[in-house]
Amino acid sequence: MTKIGLEIHLQLNTLSKVFCSCSTKQVETPNSNVCEICCGFPGSKPVLNKEAFEKALKIALALDCKINRVTFFSRKCYFYPDLPKNFQITQYESPIGINGKFRGIRIRRVHLEEDPGALVHKGSYCLVDYNRSGIPLVEIVTEPDFKTAKEAREFLRELITDLSYLDVYDKKSDFGLKADLNISTTGAKVEIKNVNGLKDIEDALTYEEERQSREVPKNSETRGWNAERRITVLQRTKESEDDYGYITETDLPVIEVSDKLLKVIKDSIPELSKEKLTRFTSQYKLSDKDAKVLSNNKRLSELFEKVAKQVDPEIAAKWIIRDLVNQLNYHKKTLDQANIKPEYMIDLLKLFEGKNITDNTTKQVMIKLIKEKNFSPKEYIEKNNLIMQSSNSKIEEWCEQAVKDCPQAVEDYKNGNEKSLNFVVGKVMQLSNKTANPDIVRKILVKLIRK
Amino acid sequence: MKIDRKILQSVASNARLKLSKKEEDELLPQLNEVLEIFSGLNNLKTDGIKPSFQPVEVKNIFREDKVNKCEEDMLQNVKNKEDRYFKGPKAI
Amino acid sequence: MKAKEYVEKVKSREISAVKTTKGILNEIKKINGTYSFFNAISENLALELAERIDKNPKGKLAGLPISIKDDLCVKGVETTCSSNILKGYRPPFNATLVNNLIREGAVIIGKTNQDAFGFGSFNVNTDMGIPKNPVDKSRVTGGSSGGAAGFTALTEFPHVAVGESTGGSIVAPCSFCGVSGVSPTYGLVSRYGLIDYANSLDKLGPIAKYVEDLELVLDVIKGYDFKDSTSLKQDIIKEKEVKKVGLIKETLDVDPKIKDIILKKLDEMNVEYEKVSLPKTSKYALPSYYIIAMAEASTNLAKYCGMRYGQEGKVNLPFNESFSEVRTKNFNKEVKRRIILGTFTRMAGYRDAFYLKAMKVRTLVIEEYKDLFKKYDLLVSPTMPIVAPKLSEVNKLKPRDHYMMDVMTVGPNLAGIPHMSVNAGFYDKLPVGIMFTANHLNEKRLFQVGKGL
Repeated sequence: MTKIGLEIHLQLNTLSKVFCSCSTKQVETPNSNVCEICCGFPGSKPVLNKEAFEKALKIALALDCKINRVTFFSRKCYFYPDLPKNFQITQYESPIGINGKFRGIRIRRVHLEEDPGALVHKGSYCLVDYNRSGIPLVEIVTEPDFKTAKEAREFLRELITDLSYLDVYDKKSDFGLKADLNISTTGAKVEIKNVNGLKDIEDALTYEEERQSREVPKNSETRGWNAERRITVLQRTKESEDDYGYITETDLPVIEVSDKLLKVIKDSIPELSKEKLTRFTSQYKLSDKDAKVLSNNKRLSELFEKVAKQVDPEIAAKWIIRDLVNQLNYHKKTLDQANIKPEYMIDLLKLFEGKNITDNTTKQVMIKLIKEKNFSPKEYIEKNNLIMQSSNSKIEEWCEQAVKDCPQAVEDYKNGNEKSLNFVVGKVMQLSNKTANPDIVRKILVKLIRK
Repeated sequence: MKIDRKILQSVASNARLKLSKKEEDELLPQLNEVLEIFSGLNNLKTDGIKPSFQPVEVKNIFREDKVNKCEEDMLQNVKNKEDRYFKGPKAI
Repeated sequence: MKAKEYVEKVKSREISAVKTTKGILNEIKKINGTYSFFNAISENLALELAERIDKNPKGKLAGLPISIKDDLCVKGVETTCSSNILKGYRPPFNATLVNNLIREGAVIIGKTNQDAFGFGSFNVNTDMGIPKNPVDKSRVTGGSSGGAAGFTALTEFPHVAVGESTGGSIVAPCSFCGVSGVSPTYGLVSRYGLIDYANSLDKLGPIAKYVEDLELVLDVIKGYDFKDSTSLKQDIIKEKEVKKVGLIKETLDVDPKIKDIILKKLDEMNVEYEKVSLPKTSKYALPSYYIIAMAEASTNLAKYCGMRYGQEGKVNLPFNESFSEVRTKNFNKEVKRRIILGTFTRMAGYRDAFYLKAMKVRTLVIEEYKDLFKKYDLLVSPTMPIVAPKLSEVNKLKPRDHYMMDVMTVGPNLAGIPHMSVNAGFYDKLPVGIMFTANHLNEKRLFQVGKGL
């Protein structure tokens, strides 16, 4: 029976590092966001970042963990060039949270620790950049409850969505996500260490599940993920791993999590994606598909809800969840980049709802809203005379002109070719600068032609 | 409780120290004498006693999440450097 | 001249800080070849600071020459902890304590010799030449703050040394050299910039000829430091009355001459004292201390691997080999011994029996002291079980004998309580120290008694 477990590491989105006040921003120049503390200089001492601790606590609460009310840090000792002190400060003995649950998967532990530096392998030597050293990492360990790679992938996506809802993790900074995977299908357990980024983690899971169906592992082994070749490879079996020799980090005092702090952090947890999904389907009567698109995107759902207060939710749903999203993808922009003001979207969709503009106009204006800065749909529509014309007399004028201009199409239509009417409708739209109400146009044309 | 040569070698390796056979010979009795002193602790009952990791109780010490740039060059103490990187030994 | 008087005279421009500084620097240069008290003489820094003071004589320590133990970072000044592995290392930052001293006008004259990383009670485990006891050059100064205590005893210039204590390394050399020293409450003085021996045990404190000078300097270096998370927010308490003193009977099992000197001193004090007992501390503080100290030290010394600072390793080797080579070459025997013991006591399988057990014993030791302090204002004992031994005698000792020397001093160090040693008398011309121990933050009681002697 397949058993898969994940040990996830993600970088918190704090401004400064976990034990010093160096910036966590990604920069070009190596060793430029560093100090004596994150470079492990003798005599330097760590001081705990309050925000980092509270974000880790938030994650533990959101994952339904039992919170360790008294928690402290330990030294995990091993030697490696990217580790400035040759020990990592972590919470081995007293993780912030234990025994949680998320999407039916048991969470064994959630704890806070520091990231080591970054290595560049140069063959006979290595280069080390400590910019990354000291960035706060939260480690989330699941029990091996996943039964398929697909389950694990879906879990991970939903987890990351919720983590960005919590404002603890920057979804876009994919380098901030790493995982160790453990998979056993019908044979021994295989550990795949140090897979970076969501796509690689997903691919590694998929690959390994499939590989194990072909070559059942007889002994438990450790493998690595080769990102270029997109396969897992057996790592040279190391001599028995060094004992980490944990001791308490006595430069960092114990932390007692008060009732007050627990309440404040709990209250700060927003509606997460699962609840949102349920609410969207029931409150707005959205389809499951539409509701899912929204619940996976915090900003999109915020925009939708603001608009749905003033415009029929069904209309809001069609234009925001489908049209807007499609146009954003087509124009390769994110919602953040487009920076659409909800008031403008409301203006636009209200005009559509009131049948003041055509479908087509709405579409074109939406595109402009995405691409241009400080674009007011209302102003643009008024300035360019795009208000839909529904006055019969005006439309009759255009229709008569169009019939005159398209004799062949009219003839074809009379002879039974239904589709030819579209050509004439098109002509009317052209004459009317696309503002003629297309339903009325059709009615009048048919009447005229049949006369 | 005794340290034998095998344990000594494993501990030394863990601590990244190379000992010659002569040094091992010298160290083993010394270490075991000290361990005898350490093992004296077994005579004191400590059931139910909480460990004191620090002698004076301090708790809940934090700093604000603010950035403060360090202006010192952390590479100033090494010759082994390349393009603003620390140069280190082979790490694969 | 006591420091306070000297500082007054500098502030009133009666004495020139630069002149004093030049004088003391010359003395150091003359004697250091013989005595090895200093690993580094910070001449430029000292003169710069002294000139600043002469221009604008301000601060509680205006113009006072201060030597710094070589495990405390002074920016730009070679800091080695007396170990070859840090030879040439110049810290890019100042320890908070050093900043505090400079802010009050002190003149930093140099870095004093010690047992490498603080590992020792006689200052013989140094890679920088063994310092000699000024009372008798064939004898050791004691350690690990041997250079600090030795120079304090020798010089007649106004001077205070900053020493460091983990298991007794301030009071032990004070006892052997005949000077005064105080190891304050753990956390009272910031450890930021102190190159760690054992994080839960290290304390920084002054060594001087006069107790008044200890008080003066402690006043400047104590205080909350946000950079050191274990730094105390509370200050020392105001109470200084000493009404009842407890003489620790388990410490009296020493050479009767030493015992006599101690008892005589107590009688001179005119203070009520009675014999008290610290049964658990006397038997178990020593092993508990050493296990904790070595376990923490073995992790603290892991960072020295030939990268980032100190002696650089070979980069064209696999990293484990490179690290092992540079560490093996540059760590002396005692350092290796403690790393090995420390690593052993925290390895899986031994951790419960040693590391965790020691932490529990520490709780019992603290409780035992706290109980006595309910009744007594101070406790007293000899500082060391012997007087300063000859170097030749020390060389014959086994490691376990070295460790047993700390039997009087480990108790207060383990409990993080303040203790002070002053000279009580002489045994065959060799100084005998008497040690007072107080409850946490009761330093004023120590000074009160010390000034009275």
